[in-house]
Amino acid sequence: MLGVGQKFPQFSLTGVVSNDLNNAFQPFDSNSANGKWQIVFFWPKDFTFVCPTEIAAFGKLNKEFADRDAVVYGVSTDSEFVHLAWRKDKEELRDLPFPMLSDIKRELTSALGVLDAEAGVAQRATYIVDPQGVIRFAYVTDLNVGRSPQEVLRVLDALQTDELCPCNWKKGEDTLKAA
Amino acid sequence: MSLETIRDQLPDYARDLKLNIGSVLTTQGAPGLSEKQIAAVALSTAIASRNPHFTLAIESWAKPQLDDAYVNGARAAAAIMGMNNIYYRFLHLVEDGEYATMPARLRMNIIGNPGIDKLDFELLSLAVSAVNGCGMCITSHEKKLREGGISREQIQSAVRIASVIHAVAAVLEYHSESAAAAASV
Repeated sequence: MLGVGQKFPQFSLTGVVSNDLNNAFQPFDSNSANGKWQIVFFWPKDFTFVCPTEIAAFGKLNKEFADRDAVVYGVSTDSEFVHLAWRKDKEELRDLPFPMLSDIKRELTSALGVLDAEAGVAQRATYIVDPQGVIRFAYVTDLNVGRSPQEVLRVLDALQTDELCPCNWKKGEDTLKAA
Repeated sequence: MSLETIRDQLPDYARDLKLNIGSVLTTQGAPGLSEKQIAAVALSTAIASRNPHFTLAIESWAKPQLDDAYVNGARAAAAIMGMNNIYYRFLHLVEDGEYATMPARLRMNIIGNPGIDKLDFELLSLAVSAVNGCGMCITSHEKKLREGGISREQIQSAVRIASVIHAVAAVLEYHSESAAAAASV
């Protein structure tokens, strides 16, 4: 499994962004985040029980992530049509503010090393990827464990918070170089 | 609003300030600074001086000299230093060095990417620090500016603007209040 400090794999996937079949599908790739941070999280299967709750919980925090210059992608190995059907079926998912990506060829899931060998679907993995495309946080649980989007937000805050101000300078030190 | 209108509001007991604000906001009176730098320093230190009427007047005077990025940069410097000046002043005043070893855990990402020239943003940060009175911030921003090739004269010009803006903001706040009170008697 890819971990912290490694490059997040290149991807090019179809995402579901609305409930209307005519404009529901949009392509997303490694450059779609356009220099922002990426939160990429996986779930095993659409139409299962734990998933909509935690996907909706990521949705509720979408504005918090956006305020921190981060885009959110939810991914499973289901097809985009299954995503659309599930989105329309589940009330919590109808207004989901971020795309549900379809990794139907299991390329991204495999490249990351989070394809469950037995179940053949994605494990419950969460990644924070910085604007340079480097994985800064990786978190994977077994198929049935839910996770806390609030914790992902806390980690993102910590990763982004750096004392860039020269006020932090102490006598006898070189000044810190603001990135 | 013109600078003239601001000056006309100043009472006679503050005539020194009236004359100073007329000079420090010009390129002759602020040696080494461009018109843009003068306007940005004036706007950021006006915001830090907390007189909204005066700040709006300074802003409308400053805007013709500034593009949107610099208006935003001046506001951002006042905003972020309003926080950092308090936090880092605490660090240098508290008689326990342990606090300085604790991460601040405060977001200050704008400093890494202020949207304007980084040294200009430093200059604004220094001027705001002079208004807010944080010694450690003054020392460290001055050092960074000098390392970046900014002269003492340029730095002094920015601080002279900060001083006058701060004084004028305070006097106008009191003066307009007392004029209103007198009128209502």
